[in-house]
Amino acid sequence: MLLEKSNLIYKWEKRVFPFLLLLPALILILGIVAYPVFRAIWLSFHSYNPLKPFIVEYVGFDNYVKIFRDQLFITALKNSLIWTIGVVFFQFLGGLFGALILKQNFKGRSIVRGLSLIPWVTPSILIAIMWIWMLDGNYGIINDVLLKLGIISKYIPWLAQKNTALPSVMIADIWRGIPFFAVMLLAAMDAIPEELYEAAKIDGASSFKIFTNITWPLILPTVLITTMLRIIWTANHMDLILIMTDGGPGSSSLILPLMSYHIAYKQLNFGYASAIAILQGIFLIVIISFYLRLLRKGGSIY
Amino acid sequence: MFKNSRVYIFSILILILILLVSPIQGQKKTIIKYWLWLDDPTDPMFPDLVKQFNSQNPDIQVEYELIPLAQYYDKLVTAVGAGTAPDCARFKDWWLGAFVDAGALEPLDNYLKNWSGYKDVIANLWNTGKIHSKSPIYMMPHQFITFYLYYRKDWFKEKNLPPPTDLNKFLDAAKKLTDPSKNQYGFGLRGGAGGQDQWLAFIVAQGARLVDKNGKVIADSPEAILANQWYIDLYRVHKVAPPSAPTDAYAQILGAFQAGITAMMAHHVGSSVLVTQKLGEDKVGVVPMPSADPKKPATMMTMSGNVIFSGSKNKEAAFKFISWLTEKDQMDKWCRSRQGQLPVLKSVASMPYYKNNIFFKVSLDQAKYAIAWPPLPGVGYISAQLWQNLMQKALLGEITSKEMMEEIANALRKK
Repeated sequence: MLLEKSNLIYKWEKRVFPFLLLLPALILILGIVAYPVFRAIWLSFHSYNPLKPFIVEYVGFDNYVKIFRDQLFITALKNSLIWTIGVVFFQFLGGLFGALILKQNFKGRSIVRGLSLIPWVTPSILIAIMWIWMLDGNYGIINDVLLKLGIISKYIPWLAQKNTALPSVMIADIWRGIPFFAVMLLAAMDAIPEELYEAAKIDGASSFKIFTNITWPLILPTVLITTMLRIIWTANHMDLILIMTDGGPGSSSLILPLMSYHIAYKQLNFGYASAIAILQGIFLIVIISFYLRLLRKGGSIY
Repeated sequence: MFKNSRVYIFSILILILILLVSPIQGQKKTIIKYWLWLDDPTDPMFPDLVKQFNSQNPDIQVEYELIPLAQYYDKLVTAVGAGTAPDCARFKDWWLGAFVDAGALEPLDNYLKNWSGYKDVIANLWNTGKIHSKSPIYMMPHQFITFYLYYRKDWFKEKNLPPPTDLNKFLDAAKKLTDPSKNQYGFGLRGGAGGQDQWLAFIVAQGARLVDKNGKVIADSPEAILANQWYIDLYRVHKVAPPSAPTDAYAQILGAFQAGITAMMAHHVGSSVLVTQKLGEDKVGVVPMPSADPKKPATMMTMSGNVIFSGSKNKEAAFKFISWLTEKDQMDKWCRSRQGQLPVLKSVASMPYYKNNIFFKVSLDQAKYAIAWPPLPGVGYISAQLWQNLMQKALLGEITSKEMMEEIANALRKK
C-alpha cells in the first residue's frame, strides 16, 4: 500500500501533515509561552513604563547591574529560599505521613481520602482570607486556642511581626499543599505489588524495615518528580503572600515574584521587574537541572 | 488515507475561515465602555442608573465593567499600555499625576463650558481634578470623603474624658483607654493596605504638608518628619495601638472598633452605617479630625471622580454619561446607596438627609479645609505600595521617621 503511493504523497502524509495538525497547538504554545518569555527578556534590557508605551529606551545591562546593588533583592532572595525550601519540605513530610495513614485499612477510608483533598482544591483567595482571620492578632482563633492551652501568655499579631509573618504564611501554604503530596504518594504506594509486603512479613521484617526497603525505594521516582514540580510552583506562586501580607510588614515576607510584581505594577518599571523575573528563572533552571540529574540517578538504581 | 487527509485539511480551512471572519455586526448605537469599582459590588444602585441612562439616550449604549479596587490600578495601567482602555472610568485623585504625565487623560475644560451643573459643584473641589492650580481639569469630581474620628462615647464618659477634639486630648484619651491585659487599645492605627489616607490626615492635622503652596515638595521638612514621628510613636512609644497595627487594613481596624477592642478609629462616612449598626448609635461619637492647633484644623480628603481617556473615539458621548452621573438626582441616589460617600454638588449637600446626619454633616463641614494628596506622578506608587512598605518598617523600628519621609519626598519629586 505504501509502496504504491508516490513519493510526494508519502512525504506529505509523513512529514507535513502531522505538523499541520500540530499547528494550532504550536501557535498557542508559541503565543502564550514563547512570546512572553522573549518579551520579558527583551523588556529586561529596556526601560519601559506601561503608561508610556511609545517611549522605550534601550539600557543594556543596567537593570541587571542594579539588581546586585539592591539590598531589597538580597532580602527577597533570602526569603524566597526560606519560603520554597521550608514549604516544600514540610508539605512533603506531611504528605508522606498522610499517605501512610490513608494507606491503612480503616472504615470510611475512601471518604477520608476524598475529604483530605479539600485544602488543595480550595481557591487561594479563600485560603488566604480564612488564615488571615484565624491568625488575627486581636480575636483570631489560633491566638485564642494557644492562650487557653497556656502556650502563649498574650495575643500575638502573627502577620504583623517581622519574625512570624513569613512562617505564618508558610504554614498556610504547607496546609494547602499537603494533600497534593499525599495523593501522589498514595498513588505510587498503591502501585507497589502486595506480594513484596507479604514476602517481607514472612521474613519477619519490622514496619520500619518494610518502609525503608520496599516502600521508600519504590516511591522514590514519584517523590523526586512531585517535589520538583512543587519547588517550581512554590517558588513562582505568590498568591497567598500577596493577599495575606503583601510582602510585609516592611519587606519581611517579600519573595522574588512579589518583588517583581510590585516593581512592575506599583512602580511602573517593567524593565527592572523583568530583569528580576529573568534572574529568578535562571536560578530555578540551575536548581532544577541539578535536581533532574539527581532524578536520573535515583531512577537508575531501581 | 489521502481522502481522509483532504477532509482534515478542509475542516482546518473552515476553522481558520471562521476565526478570520468573526461576526461583524452593523452598529447604530454609540457604545461607551465605562469601568468602575464599587465598595459594595452587590449594590443594585449602579446597574439601575445605567439602565436609566440607556433608556433615556437611545443613541448611546453604556457598557460597564466592575473591577475590585485592589486590582483597579493594575488593570488601568495595563489597559492604557495595551491601548485597550475604556472610553471613560471612575478614577482616584491618587492616580491623576501618573496618567496625566503619560498623556492618557483627556482635558475636560471644553466640555465643561457647556455643562449646566458646573457652578453647582463645591468650588474648592474642582482643584482635585487638576494637577496644578493652572492645569486643565482632567477629572470630574463625583464623590469624596474626608477623614474624621469615631470614638466610643460610653468609654469616654466612664473615664470622664472630654471628646478628642484636639491632638493632646486625643493622645491623652488614647493612653487612658489602653489596657493590653483586657485587649483594649486607644486607637486603631492602620499600617496595612490603604493606611496612607489616615496617616496623611494626622500629618496635615499637625500642620505639616507634603507640598507647599507653590507645589514644591516639602515632605522631608523637619515639621513633616516630626509629625510622622508623632504618628509612629503612637505605636512604638505610647503603645496605644493594637500590636497588629503594622499590617492592619480596613477590615481589621473596623473589626477591632466594632468588637470593642479600640476606643477610636479614624475613617470616613463610608463606615458610619456599619459602625452604628454594630455598636448602637448611643455608643458612637464623631468629631472632626483633631488637630494640633484647633485654630488651624486640617484633614485629608480623597476624591473619586470620572475621567475620559485620550484614546477614546466617543468622547462626546462619554462626557454625556459622566456628566449625567454628576447631576443632582443621580448623585443623590449614589450617595444614599450603600456606597455612601459625600456629594460634590451644593444642591445635594444641602438636602435635609445630609444636613441631619451627623456623619455626613461632620464630613461636609470639613470639606472647606480638607487637603488631598498632591497630584504628582509619584503618588500612584506611594499609595499603591511605597507608603505601606515604609510605614511598616518605621513601625518595626527598621527605619527612622527621617528616612521614611525622605523616601516619600524622593518619590514625590520623581518625574
